[in-house]
Amino acid sequence: MIVDFVAFWVVLPMLSLALVLAFIRLAIGPTLPDRVVAFELIAILLAGVIVVYAVLGEHSALFDVASVWAIISFLSVVAIAYYIEKARKP
Amino acid sequence: MMEILIAALLILGASFMLIAAIGILKMPDLYMRMSVNTKSVTLGMGFLLLALVLHFHEIGVASRALATLVFIAMTAPISSHLIGRAAYLSGVELWSETRRDELGDLYQRRPMSMEQVLFSENPPHSMDLEQEEKDTEDNF
Amino acid sequence: MKRISIFLGNIFLPFIWMALTGQFTAGNFFIGVLLSSFALWVAAPQREILVLNSLVRLWRWLLFFLFFLWELTLASLRVVHDILTPRHRMRPAIIAVPLEIRKDIEITLLANLLTMTPGTLSLEVSPGSDVLYVHAMYVDDIEEFRRMVKEKYEKRVQRVLE
Repeated sequence: MIVDFVAFWVVLPMLSLALVLAFIRLAIGPTLPDRVVAFELIAILLAGVIVVYAVLGEHSALFDVASVWAIISFLSVVAIAYYIEKARKP
Repeated sequence: MMEILIAALLILGASFMLIAAIGILKMPDLYMRMSVNTKSVTLGMGFLLLALVLHFHEIGVASRALATLVFIAMTAPISSHLIGRAAYLSGVELWSETRRDELGDLYQRRPMSMEQVLFSENPPHSMDLEQEEKDTEDNF
Repeated sequence: MKRISIFLGNIFLPFIWMALTGQFTAGNFFIGVLLSSFALWVAAPQREILVLNSLVRLWRWLLFFLFFLWELTLASLRVVHDILTPRHRMRPAIIAVPLEIRKDIEITLLANLLTMTPGTLSLEVSPGSDVLYVHAMYVDDIEEFRRMVKEKYEKRVQRVLE
């Protein structure tokens, strides 16, 4: 009971605020690597949101989604880092 | 009692994540943003997963949570190392108050191809490797 | 290579023991460890006391893990303090740390450990893999920082992978 209340009224709003802040950095970030870092943060924040939803909805299967999501976001960050390194001005 | 502990862990994890988000907005340059992020996010995720394990109280969930946490703790430094290196090579500026840049001695901070940088110090293989890299680069 | 296969045997044989006896409990696993190290001790060409060896190794990894958790917590608290107070008190620098460790696995572990601990971020390893370039947020004295990295982190990495 108290867990559901806290998760819904405290934890999810905090994570949403964090998502908004990370999105501001994604929008203003002066260079591409800044945006990649913001994107990485957004990805892991979403994994956190999924974990909180797993607690709220009593579905432990949702948590598998979070772990796969974390793995895929790591792979995409590696790919973008490779691209940044290759796409430099000659 | 258990419920209060779980709620506290959830709040703790979420606040570390929120602090990482504030940090990414506030820190003056990319490198500091990354070094703030990696730590806070990993710790925050650790607390959230601990809360999840205590909530479900199953061995399967616990082992999967441990595997996920180990995976995140292993990959977070790798990806920030990759981005940091790529950013440095592509010339992202350091904060104006940075005191010393000893990596500049290695790269001299001018546009230079990756292959030149990497293979300039071992002459025996440098020529053919450089050629090979150029070939693949052209195909790419 | 030899040592690794013996170490793996010391892990897998207890599982076979548990499957044979049909009791999957921690106590039975421990009995399996004892029995398999005895069997491997009889069979192994070099006579080492295997169970002691792997226990010591396990203990070192445990200590290393606890050290890592402690450092991670300290680092996060310091960063939290810095973010939540309005004044910037960072003194960042990129510093070259000469390495004594040479193996790839050791350098990887050290670089990851440094990225996860106080305000440091490992950026690059020199082509001959003998210098690690580290971006640090709180550098008061550069020589002092180099000494701290070598004594606090490099020694531990060396000891845990020895």
